[in-house]
This record gives sequence, structure tokens and C-alpha cells, in this order.
Amino acid sequence: MNLYEFEGKSLFEKYDIAVPNGVLVRRGDDYAAAYSGLKIADVVVKPQILGGGRGKQGGIRFCTSHEEVARACEELFDADFEGKYVAAVRIEEKVDIAVEHYVSITYDTKFAQPVLVYSARGGVDIETVADEEIQRFLLDVRVGDINVQLAHAKDLKGVRQVCAHVWKCFLNEDVRVIEINPLAELAPRTKFEGARWVALDAKVVLDDDAFYRHKEWGEFEPRTMMGRPPTERETAVAKIDEGEGYYRGTAGKYVELDGDIAVLFSGGGASIASMDALKTHGLSPANYTEYSGNPPREKVRELAKMVLSKPGLRGLWIAGGVANFTDVAETFAGICDALDEVKPSYPIVVRRAGPNEEEGMRLMRECGERHGLRMKLFGKEVGIGETAKVLAEMVKE
Amino acid sequence: MLINKDTKVLVQGMTGKEGQKATKAMLDYHTEVVCGVTPKKGGQEMEGKPVFDTVGEALEQFPDVNTTAIYVPPFAAKDAIMEAIDSGIATISVITERIPIQDTAYVLAAARERGVWIIGPSSLGYIVPGVGRVGVVGGPLVDEIFMPGPVGVISRSGGMTNEVSWQLRKAGIGQRAAVHVGGDLLMGTTYVDLLTMFQEDEETKAVVVFGEHGGRYEFEIVKMVADGVFTKPLAVYVGGRFASTLPQGVPIGHAGAIVARGESAEDKEAALRDAGVMVAERYEDLVGLVRPHVS
Repeated sequence: MNLYEFEGKSLFEKYDIAVPNGVLVRRGDDYAAAYSGLKIADVVVKPQILGGGRGKQGGIRFCTSHEEVARACEELFDADFEGKYVAAVRIEEKVDIAVEHYVSITYDTKFAQPVLVYSARGGVDIETVADEEIQRFLLDVRVGDINVQLAHAKDLKGVRQVCAHVWKCFLNEDVRVIEINPLAELAPRTKFEGARWVALDAKVVLDDDAFYRHKEWGEFEPRTMMGRPPTERETAVAKIDEGEGYYRGTAGKYVELDGDIAVLFSGGGASIASMDALKTHGLSPANYTEYSGNPPREKVRELAKMVLSKPGLRGLWIAGGVANFTDVAETFAGICDALDEVKPSYPIVVRRAGPNEEEGMRLMRECGERHGLRMKLFGKEVGIGETAKVLAEMVKE
Repeated sequence: MLINKDTKVLVQGMTGKEGQKATKAMLDYHTEVVCGVTPKKGGQEMEGKPVFDTVGEALEQFPDVNTTAIYVPPFAAKDAIMEAIDSGIATISVITERIPIQDTAYVLAAARERGVWIIGPSSLGYIVPGVGRVGVVGGPLVDEIFMPGPVGVISRSGGMTNEVSWQLRKAGIGQRAAVHVGGDLLMGTTYVDLLTMFQEDEETKAVVVFGEHGGRYEFEIVKMVADGVFTKPLAVYVGGRFASTLPQGVPIGHAGAIVARGESAEDKEAALRDAGVMVAERYEDLVGLVRPHVS
């Protein structure tokens, strides 16, 4: 889960990483009053969006009066940051910067360990910084004390202590990505509440798979990377995998899209190959959905109901590869439960094979006959992509 | 090759629903599963194989166990894998999905130090057709999908390991081995490890890979081919071309498939093509690309 800057900063405060004083305003709040409450004249006003790039797109405003702040907030809530959704605006103390640094910790896939990246040339996109001005240190998740791991690192100077806090935050909070850019080194004699180093931005991605040991994550507001608030369907589907049996099959994936072809895919790999095939045949998906890992009938039923509940559908594609252990009969029983309720009039194409495929196909065929559905069934003798073509032809008719 | 007549398998989490199914699936495919472990279930039997409380107890009775299949829930996976590593088991197949990445990094670091081979996590396992399987690759249709042959199969996706193997079989081509490396960001066994193995194996005549957008692993293939380290015919499909129509960062496919700049399906396809790798437009095309090289 990607965090907003303000959420990342409250995490930082917990780990003694200094951040500027600030206040958060939501759409429609009294922006000027929030600013006055801060009792700081010089402020920075920043939209809270998921994903970077707001600086380059004019999203960072410097203000010195409540009129300026109010106008900046109005504009930022209405602005378009490459389609990203502005969830809130943070009004924050402007600090007196001497040098902008860069610090991040992410997982390096080659060494399968976290890597600390540091540069004294922060404040810009790190990918534009010359390689010789970037230092990389491979870390070890088994070693909590970063000073042991950075014993041979030179040139880290004052930033070493910040790195220690960042590392502690990374491990304790089950972080996948943490990036502070810029990490401000304050001008001489202008300490900020005793700190010389202040995190001016916060990019944090939490590891969704560690949620069971972070009950507090349940407090975060719902979000999506789609540049809008999550839809009702997305929020409802996300709940399917919650609870004790969360790892017993996954059926909680639903991204709402603009198209009109509902999809129910099985398996992560098959789902992306199928989305590619859909695009190839000129069909436009109404959603992205994938279940896998042998989910029980109930989970699939809830998922299928949500997928079929979208208005304006013109087709349904139920597709998957040759399953290894996902029970085709069990999962199809869940889909049939939903079809029994909805009885769609649009064409339906099914392609699936695997354990209990005969029984699964029988359930699907009988469901189709029961309601007179326009349904075509395919097993493994026909490739997934070819059945997308069949659906495309049925939709055109 | 990954599985041979000396392979003796332990199943950790044997008494759970998926562990039971896997035990039966492996035995049905003539793989020597010798025992299982489930804490507090010691003394039971599963498919006629004894269950122990700990890996240590299991190895006292069956000292020649050299492979373990991990079927425990994600919150218990780190401890189970560490128990296997500490007991000196050489190969660990981690089937468990949704293990926190920090736990994965922890066990991979320990495994590397001890020279232990981990496949996964989030891997269905692997199969050497005609010899055996670890995990449930092929499921109950295993004999319809797999037959011994010259093509190595590597996949980021479990379902597509099967599907791609089936496409080969349908064209009359058998598989040398099929390995699901798992869809997580971190992988114990990568394309590079397996391509190295297939390069050294004389019976392997060609390899097909089902890859995905996101991550850097496909670029390691590019380097291997460009450096002349892997020289056999190689066909790759990279799923996720449609993702370029979505905002960056929308999670699509597997956990490892969160796409950063330069990691799109198109970026990978271009780099692979430049290195001389055969790139399939659709996964169904993989077979046609390798067929001339194996018949």
C-alpha cells in the first residue's frame, strides 16, 4: 500500500525523523483557518497524491498569507496531476535549507536484500543524478543495527543517524519502499526543534502481506492508484480476502476500468496474458479481476457478484489456464451462484481446464441452459487468446 | 536435473488441506515423499507417511531427506523455512503465498550463506516429466500435460507453467523440466539459475519463458544471452502490454509485477529482441518459435 506524504511523515515522527510542522486540510475545509492555526507565516502548500511528479507539475506552492493559502488549496484540489487523485492538501512550515540530500531504502531484486541509496544531490529525480554522486549500501534484514552494516561507509557524515532511524522504520513497519527526497540539511544556526536534518517529503510503500502483524493499518483511508477514490465495488471486493482465512485463496482483486467487457480471470499470469489478448481483439475491459490459489466457492461468489453488478456490460469473459490445484468445479459453482442471480443477457465465453473440469463445465452448462444464457464453453483444446476472439465476434453480432 | 532417483521429500504443513493434496499429488507421480511435519500433529499419518512435530525429529528417522515442500500459512513460513535451513536440507520449495517480503529476504539471506537452494516463494513447485514432481504442478491432469522431452519451461505464473507446457504437449513436444519460480518481487531461484542449469543439461534443446512486466529479472536474461552464457534457442513471452494503458503503480498480476520506469512489457521485449531472443507476441506463439529447434 502506497502512503500519502502526510501518512509517511507521521510514521517518520514515530522514528525520530524530523519533519516540518504542518496541518492537513480536506476538500471543503476552512483552509485559511487551518493556516492561521499553524501560527507560521512562511508555508509550503502541497497536494497529497499517490505517486511522484507533483513538483514538476507545479504542485508545490509557497505562501505567506491566508489569502494565498486559501487560493493555493482551491487550485490544488482542482488541479490535474497526470490524473492522480488529490486526497488532501498539507500546509507545512517552510524550512531554511542549506543542502538537499536523498535517502531511500528499497529491495534489490538481484541480492534479495534492502539497499540504502544516499546522495548529497537530492531535491531532483534521483535517476537524473550522476552515478558517481550516488552511494549504495547493501543491507541485511537480519541485522537491526545499521551502524554495523555501514561501518566502512565514508562520506555519510551527519546523515548516518537519519539512516539509522530510516532503517528502524523500514524493518519495524514492514516497509517495501521508503524514500526521503529531499532530506534537508538546514542552514547553519537554523536548527528546527533541535534537528539539523528534516524530511521534507515522504514516499512510503507498506508491504500488504504483513498486514496481519499491523492491526493499525486498518485505520488508513481506502485508496487506489487509479487517480480517483476507490469505487464502491473496489471497496467491497477488497473485503473478500479479509479475516482469518485471508491466505486461503485470493479473490479480493478488482480494479474498475472504463470498458464494457466484464472479466473473471484465474491466476496472475493468465490474467495479464488475457488482458493483453482482450486488447488485441479490440475489446475494452470493464474491470481487472483475478482469483487464484483455490479460493472457496463463497469468496468467488462474492467476487463474481461484484463483477457482474457493473452497469452497461456487453460481455463476460471467464478465462484461465490449465489449473494445477484450483478446483474448477468449486470456483465455477461460485460464479454460477452469481449468474443465477444476475442472468445476464450479454454473451459469455468461458475457457478453463484443470482439477474437476468436467464437473465445473457441467455446472456452467446447466446454469446457461437454466436461464437461456448466450454462453460458449471451451476447455484446454482452444488457447485463451482464441476465445477472446470468439467473444469479440459474439459481442459484435 | 532438479529431481532424480535420490530425491526424498519432506512436506512441512503435511496435515493442512493443501499439504495433504500435495502429498497425494507427489506420490501419485512416483515422487518419494517420505514423511511430513506439522507442529503438535506428531504421531499421525498422512497417505501412509509418518508426521512429526519438528523437522529435527523427522530427520532423525529419515536422515536422507534432501528436499522439503513448504505448505504452512504465511505467518508461519519464516520459522518453518529457517527450521529446514538449520536442519541442513539442501532444497526448499516454498509454495506458501503472501509471505511478508522481509521474511522472504531473511530466509533467502540465510539460505545463501548455507548453500541451500530455495525455489519460490509463491511457487507451485517444479516437475521433471517422467521422473517426479515437487508440489502440485500439473495437478490431476499431469499425464495429459507433461511428457519427457527437450524443452525447459520457466514461468512467473503457476497456471501458465501448466498452460505453456500444455501448448507444447499439444504440438507433440515434451518438457525436460517445468519450474514455477513464483510471482513475488524476490525469488530464491531466478531465470538465471535455471537457464544456467538448462544450458549445462545436454538433453535440453530449447527453453521457453513466461515472463511479466515489472521487476528487473528479464533483463538478466538479456545479459546472459548477450554475454554468450546462455546459447540455446530461447523464446520469451512478457505479459502485461495492456498495463501501459493504466496509471503507473496499479497492481496488476503478481506481487512482483509492480512496474517501475523502464520495466514495462515493451521495454523488456525490446531488450530481449536486441539480444537475439525470440519474443512471442502471445503466449500461444511460444511453441511455434521453439518448434523448428527441437524437431
